[in-house]
Amino acid sequence: MPETAPLPLDPRAIRLNASAGGRDDAIRQCGEALLAVGAVEEAYIDTMIERERSISTYVGEGVAIPHGTLAAKEAVRHDAISVVRFPAGVDWDGDRVTVCIGIAARGNGHVALLAQLAEILMEPDQAQALREATEVAEVVRLLQSNINEEDESQ
Amino acid sequence: MASIDSKDIHKIIVACDAGMGSSVMLASQLRKQLKGQQIQVEHTPVNSIPADADVVVCHAGLAARAKVTAPDKVLISFQLFIGDPAVTKLVNTIKNGGTVDA
Repeated sequence: MPETAPLPLDPRAIRLNASAGGRDDAIRQCGEALLAVGAVEEAYIDTMIERERSISTYVGEGVAIPHGTLAAKEAVRHDAISVVRFPAGVDWDGDRVTVCIGIAARGNGHVALLAQLAEILMEPDQAQALREATEVAEVVRLLQSNINEEDESQ
Repeated sequence: MASIDSKDIHKIIVACDAGMGSSVMLASQLRKQLKGQQIQVEHTPVNSIPADADVVVCHAGLAARAKVTAPDKVLISFQLFIGDPAVTKLVNTIKNGGTVDA
């Protein structure tokens, strides 16, 4: 990754005590958190739900990573992620999701964060820490802990 | 069925719908697992798989589209974003030598 984009994890896009009536409602809340930090236009949110209907973004360990469609990149203003935690869980086509990571990307600003998320999901203890995090600082720490060591050379 | 010898693999493409989410995560994992193998791992949308890709990795739900956009490539499809057996097998074949087939 040649560019050194600022880390797109804005603490204002982290909501740790949410509840949702279902999968689409949960996705909408992830989209609204992205909208709140100016990362997307409102139209992006519907495409997140559309994208989810084609293939689930459930990635395991109680985590889903909803994002928009390719066509919706136009509606992205800058790379960002949102983290919305649903302590009571959300039924995700049969899986139980506790943490939703909403993604908006035009470029590669989110790549290091997703690489770190993959690392977290490979470690059951860390995945549990993410699911149970109640402090914004804890989520930031988990998702950014190894980023300086990440080697994203292609 | 397309197949390729592991030593002829120079570029792996992880394809997904938008190239925004799951493919990014899987590509970063593959890159890490294949460190030191002289293999480039990139993520792209399924409808813009580059011509010089040797192996295409994509979610089973996108395999039909990948076959249309890259008909002559070795295609590995997976169900799980983390720890899928098909992806593990690909990594092991590359590390140990052997033939990768679709």
